[in-house]
Amino acid sequence: MASLFKDPSKLSVYRDRRFPGTQEEFEAALLASLTVYVGNMSFYTTEEQAYELFSRAGEIKKIIMGLDKNTKTPCGFCFVLYYSREDAEDAVKYISGTMLDDRPIRVDFDWGFEEGRQWGRGRSGGQVRDEYRTDYDPGRGGYGKMVQKELEAQRELVDYGVGFQTNAPPQFDRADRKRGYGDRNDRGDYQRRRSAPDMARRATDSDSKRDANQEPVLTSSTFSFPPLHRHKTFIEYSMVSCTGKESQVSRER
Amino acid sequence: IHTNQPPTKPNLRAPTETKTLDPSRLLPAPGTSLSSLLSATAAAAAMSAGWRTLLLRIGDRCPEYGGTADHKEHIEICYNVLSREYEHSKDDIFEFLLQCAEQLPHKIPFFGVLIGLINLENEDFAKGIVDATQANLQDALHTENRDRIRILLRFLCGLMCSKVISPNSIIETYETLLSSAATILDEDAGNPSWQPRADFYVYCILASLPWGGSELFEQAPDELERVLVGIQSYISIRRHFDDIAFSVFETDEGNSPNKKDFMEDLWERMQLLSRNGWKVKSVPKPHLSFEAQLVVGKSHRFHPVSCPPPTFTMSSSEILKGQEKHEANLKYPQRLRRLHIFPTNKAENMQPVDRFVVEEYILDVLLFFNGCRKECAFYLVSLPVSFRYEYLMAETIFSQLLLLPNPPFRPIYYTLVIIDLCKALPAAFPSVVVAAVHALFDRISNMDTECRTRLILWFSHHLSNFQFIWPWQEWANVKGLPKWAPQRVFVQEVLEREIRLSYFEKIKQSIEDAAELEGLLPPKAGPNFRYHTDESKESTEGHRISKELVSMVRGRKTTRDIILWVEEQIVPANGTKFAVDVVSQTLLDIGSKSFTHLITVLERYGQIISKLCPDEEMQLLLMDEVSAYWKNSTQMTAIAIDRMMGYRLISNLAIVKWVFSPANVDQFHVSDRPWEILRNTVSKTYNRISDLRKEIQTLRKSIQVAKEASAKAIKELEEAKSILEIVEGQPVSSERPGRLRRLQGFADKAKEEEVTIEESLEAKQALLARGLEEGKELLRLLFKSFVDVLTERLPPVSADGDVPNLRAGDPNVTFPASDPEAATMEIDDENGADNNR
Repeated sequence: MASLFKDPSKLSVYRDRRFPGTQEEFEAALLASLTVYVGNMSFYTTEEQAYELFSRAGEIKKIIMGLDKNTKTPCGFCFVLYYSREDAEDAVKYISGTMLDDRPIRVDFDWGFEEGRQWGRGRSGGQVRDEYRTDYDPGRGGYGKMVQKELEAQRELVDYGVGFQTNAPPQFDRADRKRGYGDRNDRGDYQRRRSAPDMARRATDSDSKRDANQEPVLTSSTFSFPPLHRHKTFIEYSMVSCTGKESQVSRER
Repeated sequence: IHTNQPPTKPNLRAPTETKTLDPSRLLPAPGTSLSSLLSATAAAAAMSAGWRTLLLRIGDRCPEYGGTADHKEHIEICYNVLSREYEHSKDDIFEFLLQCAEQLPHKIPFFGVLIGLINLENEDFAKGIVDATQANLQDALHTENRDRIRILLRFLCGLMCSKVISPNSIIETYETLLSSAATILDEDAGNPSWQPRADFYVYCILASLPWGGSELFEQAPDELERVLVGIQSYISIRRHFDDIAFSVFETDEGNSPNKKDFMEDLWERMQLLSRNGWKVKSVPKPHLSFEAQLVVGKSHRFHPVSCPPPTFTMSSSEILKGQEKHEANLKYPQRLRRLHIFPTNKAENMQPVDRFVVEEYILDVLLFFNGCRKECAFYLVSLPVSFRYEYLMAETIFSQLLLLPNPPFRPIYYTLVIIDLCKALPAAFPSVVVAAVHALFDRISNMDTECRTRLILWFSHHLSNFQFIWPWQEWANVKGLPKWAPQRVFVQEVLEREIRLSYFEKIKQSIEDAAELEGLLPPKAGPNFRYHTDESKESTEGHRISKELVSMVRGRKTTRDIILWVEEQIVPANGTKFAVDVVSQTLLDIGSKSFTHLITVLERYGQIISKLCPDEEMQLLLMDEVSAYWKNSTQMTAIAIDRMMGYRLISNLAIVKWVFSPANVDQFHVSDRPWEILRNTVSKTYNRISDLRKEIQTLRKSIQVAKEASAKAIKELEEAKSILEIVEGQPVSSERPGRLRRLQGFADKAKEEEVTIEESLEAKQALLARGLEEGKELLRLLFKSFVDVLTERLPPVSADGDVPNLRAGDPNVTFPASDPEAATMEIDDENGADNNR
């Protein structure tokens, strides 16, 4: 409707590098797609929570949770498939930027789900953004994977109680860095040159800016595994193949 | 040229393309001393912003205009830049101005003045605008584009204020609409079923008066009076519009015949306006600052428009007439049904006409900025009015959210708008929302159930965006109300939806200040498997069969094998009912981990269920099993039944029958559980139909394309064949055989394609026919079931046709929940000491 303020050709700022086609084909796929990508979810958010929220934009055909390659547990993203294009558009228009499980989620058109896309593409199994993230995000497994490794390495080196406080997050300089939760755009362009210890020190508490009530709570035993902040466990998806050949039967609703 | 630049504008450089321009155009609008008025910063900002942005942002307090809100200054800056760009981008400016006028209708007075100023220098440009507007209005009238008709009439007023068209042109247009409206109401010449269209035309005239009434009154008082007299007589002959079925609150003055309908209401506001000398605070009048210049502008003729002729029906059948009325109502729906939420001193702190104008602004922003969150919130909070309107804004948005039968947009849109307004006006809006919720809550026992559901969905979603913070203790008393009390059900269902969006412990924590309400929380979700293996319990036959089925599934036995096992071993030994029980419970348990697990199981093993439940009776049983397995999760019950309908394991009719079965009817007033399932079923049936319609439309288009391609291929082939040469006295094709073969191949393939599409079109049409039939059956059964349920319970209508007063002696209605004694008197036995369900 409001064509004056909107660039209709700009459907998504994100370009999936694994899309097998040209930019034009990618855009055409986005324009016709009935699938939306949902990002910045908590690892603890369930399909049913997503169902409750996303069904308010239209009848849902399918939900495919993004899973950690190794653990087969949710890793903070999902695809929602609708039956109609208008519903997918409404999901992008009305849900992106709103809260799900106390986190601002992002909703984008997606070019279409294919087997394999449910897995995290990060080295450690989850999403790439969770490799290099330096903030503390209890909804997404605490610190980023690289910071976690660094912290563990430090813990092995430093005598407990002398140089390193294990029950509080390390002191970081707050001034730096605006990067945050974001986005799949972050992929890969993080300054890898930065040395690992330096990075650990830079892991800021920037997270608290958006999750003020989720201050990092670290205990000596949970450095790399933050406490479950809810009475819920991950669902294992090992038994379900998301798009197994068998599931191609009757799609009628 | 450059010497003509006002010296106080620092960064101003005339672009090269203006060299050919008439120097006078670079001057400020004649008669103003622009340079002295402009602040240097505003001008500098404007120079870099570009004319498009300046047009979009005119009237807004924004950086493009240096943060100033002086309307005169805005117009001068913008006009100046437009003049500079005029020669270079005349056509673009033309198009863009028209677009802006239609999509930013609250800025029409500004665009009117800009066009008026351009008219002083370039009459042709303005004449072009007038002619294009005439063509657009003509087109909108015939395509029945309501918003466009309404907005273009307002635009005409804007043009008139700036002397671009004459008052008489507008009067002429009004009279055309008015006479068309009167004709529609005429039994002989028209068709009164189409009164909604007639009403709409008159509504558009009235709705434009705040923008042009005062000028019309000054310049053409007699003609304006004639139009108003015409409207008066139209109002007196039209039928009063009675829409009590659409009122949000049952006991609103809705039943009273004295209640004004939307036309009568608007007419009264405009009469009041005329008595007040046409003074409107809410409409900016920027043309007044430029009157001296604009007065010499040439007024162009706005050519007459024509309205589409009344639609006739030959039929005298009442049913067809009713259908026609319905169609007319759908085409010309009422835009707003005002909902009075706040005390009048909050939302009515303005003149009646100003309330109308602000509502128009709000509805237009919601319409044109759907999908542009930032702009939508920005324009909603910065309407061009000098008084506060946050209460009116909340009332207007809530009346859209609760509009019956449907809001113009999905309810979730209004959720988003309210969230954004709370963020944009953190000091003012959240408290207004809180007050609205309390006011609506106080009257919820009279609220239409559909509206109550929308309110529950909105409120739970809204709270989920604000950390679930709510002063629940204020509502803690609802725990003492009977189970069916609407306020209690409201709280209970909001908590249920909150848990679905979040999780049990979190919501339990959010109500810790109102511990009484914990009793209203649903049970902690989790499956309730009848054949759960437990060491302490003795293993029954059911446990054994269930275990065997699980191991068959784990062992990847085929569906066929399992069906054989069920049919040959389980059914003969235990009966079908028992088989349904064990098999459905077990399969649900296998798929209980998540929505995806559920659909995977249903896709793989649904056939087993469909073999076991071929008819309604067994499907009712199946739903009992689903409901028993998921008795602790309303959401999963609804999802499972919905998916089973999707895979056609359960028919929609069976679902309606199940919902109206005695056990569920008992839930009607105490829970939304059966309603959710019923709602899903109706919308799924409807979605199937509308999807098929869309697909058929697409196929029709592609069949056209395929036909053309096929015809072309055949023609090419025939042409190639027809080139003959005479060999040995016989006509022989002179074309190379290879090419002929290829062409034949193309032609065959094209024909095949055409046939394939035709076949799938036929198939879809058959599906649509079936879908429509299913929809009809569904509605029939639904209405019949409602009638049955109600007749069983309501006192009968007396012999002489008097409907009994159902409200008599119902204390909960006369004193909605405020009288605890009245409420406790009503506590029924199911609301005994223990409130756990």
